[in-house]
Amino acid sequence: MKDIQHLLRVAVIFAAAFAGFLVVRTLLVPKSFGKAGHYRADAVDEFAQLPRRYAGEHACGKCHAQQASDKAKSSHRSISCESCHGALLAHVENPKSDTRPRRPKEAEMRAFCGHCHARSLSKPGRFPQIKLSEHNPDAPCNMCHQPHQPK
Amino acid sequence: MKNFSRKQFLKTAAGAALVMAARAFSTPLSAAEKFFREPPWKRKKPYWGYAVDVTKCIGCARCVDACKTENDVPREAFYFRTWVERYILRRSGEVNVDSPNGGLDGYLPPSDPGTVTKSFFVPKMCNHCENPPCVQVCPVGATFKTEDGVILVDRKYCIGCRYCIQACPYGSRFFHPVLHVADKCTLCYHRIKKGLKTACVEVCPTGARMFGDLSDPKSAISKFYETETLQVLKANMGAEPKLVYKGLDKEVR
Repeated sequence: MKDIQHLLRVAVIFAAAFAGFLVVRTLLVPKSFGKAGHYRADAVDEFAQLPRRYAGEHACGKCHAQQASDKAKSSHRSISCESCHGALLAHVENPKSDTRPRRPKEAEMRAFCGHCHARSLSKPGRFPQIKLSEHNPDAPCNMCHQPHQPK
Repeated sequence: MKNFSRKQFLKTAAGAALVMAARAFSTPLSAAEKFFREPPWKRKKPYWGYAVDVTKCIGCARCVDACKTENDVPREAFYFRTWVERYILRRSGEVNVDSPNGGLDGYLPPSDPGTVTKSFFVPKMCNHCENPPCVQVCPVGATFKTEDGVILVDRKYCIGCRYCIQACPYGSRFFHPVLHVADKCTLCYHRIKKGLKTACVEVCPTGARMFGDLSDPKSAISKFYETETLQVLKANMGAEPKLVYKGLDKEVR
């Protein structure tokens, strides 16, 4: 009889420990953990709702139709506006309040166009490149070349 | 016990061998075997894939800049979700790789161009592996593969142990100095979910970067996967990257 009491005591301790484990587990494991896999499913939605900076290729032409149609006929047609003008979602959402100039300054233009067009032996040979030090070194690029209709 | 003659023994052994062989060839595939034979993008819609055409990359690093802007990646060097490496191969067999500030600072022309046999740019980023080592090692389940095939890090759940940074064969992860969690390319999850391109693909002027839905057989990326001759980085690691390269040289690591 005494032996059964020993066993009961152990069983009660074990049950209490298990109940404690269940309580701690409910408190510590995040709500959506395990819904879709071994991770917190809500994290996926949190990522999907992060703020954007780039508006995307179709946003600009709605207002800047002339530039968009010029570019569409040129060899720069496959380049997105924001490649050169930078992230512009803030301007697209508030065109009146966000009016900072978005074109490269004249002094920086040669370096800016050079990101793509400066000669380099690492670039594919068919890509149009110039030697910045020899190709009219003092002139800003847009004196001869219009970026929306480059020639 | 009855005597077992030699003839009887051979007969029984042959029969047993036949039964075993028949079983071996007729056993249906296990679930795991099926998983690796059938591309997962045939089952889930959408399922994102990425491709880089090395022969088109001009090393302008617009992608590196756009990635940092779009995703608030610290501007200091060594924090990159994507970066562009320049490879220079020389006649001596020497291979030099550099990526000054991820490519943002531009590449100095080599002082000895005569010794160069070939040179090219290789954009690098998270390979969004099908069998990602980083996910396997995460002790808390903070890094994971979404149902559409993107590898993400749960910023609220990551304990910052940096094990995943060690485990990534591609060096695509870094420790975020402000958030104090592991950080990496999210494939611009906040953009692709809204039907937009990733920031790097958006600004790439030459179309060297490409991404899309592998589950759609008509998508440009599916066509690219089907028709081009492609390579992945470090295939021997068994991570099964979903970032594929066209025109990759054997020296690229």
